[in-house]
Amino acid sequence: MTSTSIDAELRPLSEVAQKPPRSTPGRRPRRTVAIVLGILAYLVTFLIVLPLFWIVLLSFQPSGNILGNPFSFTELTFDNYINAIGSLPLVQMYSNTIFIALVSVTVGAAISFMAAFALTRMIFRRRRLQSALRFYLLAGLAVPVYILLFPVYRLDLSLGVFGTYAALILPYIAVSIPFNTLLLTGFLREFPSEIEEAAIIDGAGLWRLCWSVVLPLMRPVIATVLIFNVVYVFNEFPFASILINNPDMSTISLAVSRFKGQYTVDYGAMMASATLVLLPQLIIYALFQRHVIAGMTVGAVKG
Amino acid sequence: MIWISSRWKILLMLAPALIFFSLFIVYPVLYSLGFSFTKFQGFGTPEFIGLDNYAALGADPFFWQSLQNTIVILVVSIALLVPASFALALLLRRKIAGGGALRALVFGPAIIAPILVGLIWVFILDPKIGLLNRVLGFMGVAPIQWIGGDTLTPYAVSLVFIWSSIGFAMTIFYAGLQQLPHDVMEASALDGASGWQQLRFVTIPMMKETFAIVTILMITNVFKIFELVFVLTGGGPVHRSETLVSYMYFVTFTNQQYGLGMAIAVVVTLLGAAVSIGYLALSRGRRTA
Repeated sequence: MTSTSIDAELRPLSEVAQKPPRSTPGRRPRRTVAIVLGILAYLVTFLIVLPLFWIVLLSFQPSGNILGNPFSFTELTFDNYINAIGSLPLVQMYSNTIFIALVSVTVGAAISFMAAFALTRMIFRRRRLQSALRFYLLAGLAVPVYILLFPVYRLDLSLGVFGTYAALILPYIAVSIPFNTLLLTGFLREFPSEIEEAAIIDGAGLWRLCWSVVLPLMRPVIATVLIFNVVYVFNEFPFASILINNPDMSTISLAVSRFKGQYTVDYGAMMASATLVLLPQLIIYALFQRHVIAGMTVGAVKG
Repeated sequence: MIWISSRWKILLMLAPALIFFSLFIVYPVLYSLGFSFTKFQGFGTPEFIGLDNYAALGADPFFWQSLQNTIVILVVSIALLVPASFALALLLRRKIAGGGALRALVFGPAIIAPILVGLIWVFILDPKIGLLNRVLGFMGVAPIQWIGGDTLTPYAVSLVFIWSSIGFAMTIFYAGLQQLPHDVMEASALDGASGWQQLRFVTIPMMKETFAIVTILMITNVFKIFELVFVLTGGGPVHRSETLVSYMYFVTFTNQQYGLGMAIAVVVTLLGAAVSIGYLALSRGRRTA
């Protein structure tokens, strides 16, 4: 994991808060307390990360040892990984997931952006209608996906897309709209319109205005939207479990859910498989960690 | 921007989002609501039976069991998670060597797919092969049926939920703490407030908004817990560790009692909304009082 801190992202908001506290006479810093709390911080972090280490450690154990003597690390082996790679369609599940994420996130963000632009920047003959439509889309935030599972399954059947990637892509796009609308309209509302007015005077049409003028200015909030949506699609399980019946089309979550049935006795291979799925995600997280955390926080605080 | 706001241009910009949203969110919600008043087994035409499904739920012990489990998870998780993540944010806000890395590590579990989280914890909580019982065994404690037993599973699910959410909740608190006005903090320190008094009378009152956000987010997330139960116990033994959502999944898709399943889905939705609104009303009321 990288050592870059998330402070970098949060600092601009709170330059003042970073000033070292003034040392007040009579309240000298109690060093022992500081040291104890520092150790405590490391200890708690270690406890939180422990489950991940445990899986990785066990994945190098011969299966017999996992059941018999999991704490002996004298004979370590790569056998589990050889077994796992032999039986795990890693490339396929990743490419399925990446394809579905790519299409649904791009389309979802694009149409949410268009809607957010219309809802904040365009002039309606009836203003009431504009805020009513915004509220309509935002109401989706209160809908739990579980109530959608069965109807969407039926809908996919009657639209004739069941068994195709579109079966998942379409609901993923829809589910992303309320949250995207919340972030994008929130951002656009507080955003000055002078640049757009200048562009219009210079003769930019609607298309140019949206994609070449406004969109580039919204880069930070668009990044948040994209990260949030990609994490959602990568982790999504309930829809995938119902709308995908062809094993060749399994997404990552769906493939992971089959591990328990697939390796009923071979715990070693199961843990090696889990590690193989876990590591790429952790590496990507380590690379983008600053943006992921900042994006998640903005999303949560605004949400 | 009047001249780019012709009616058809507005429509063009809004239409895709409205179509997707109406077709895949609004229509399904109404569809579920409608189905909850019918008897449907997957073939033939649904038969309208009024409120019979809801009455059937009232008489279904498994439904009550899963409701009870959900409430246990809700109470245990929120009661532990909110203070713990706030304390962690306070702890990780201090100047510690490598503090940024610690915050990143603590957040890590929040991006792991819930289904994978469940799988990881099988190897810790499983009564036979799990780490926890092994460690307890060294200390001479007899094996404990953390998951799959009669009573402990909802608590174990809470534990796993807390593990996967604590970094996220901590980060929101951390961001909130960073935005506190520093002059207020300094003034209270100059006035001679001790660390504890400052926390109790300055920091926490100013963080009310953040506490409300974290709590609401975690409440809604508890109502979504499904994958953890699915992987840890599959809802067993005999539905004793089911949550409302996992039981709804079982009734609808495994048992194919679609009408009954949709009735549960409607109840879950209303319950989640009611708890969230209730909490918001409560915290608003406290603020004005």
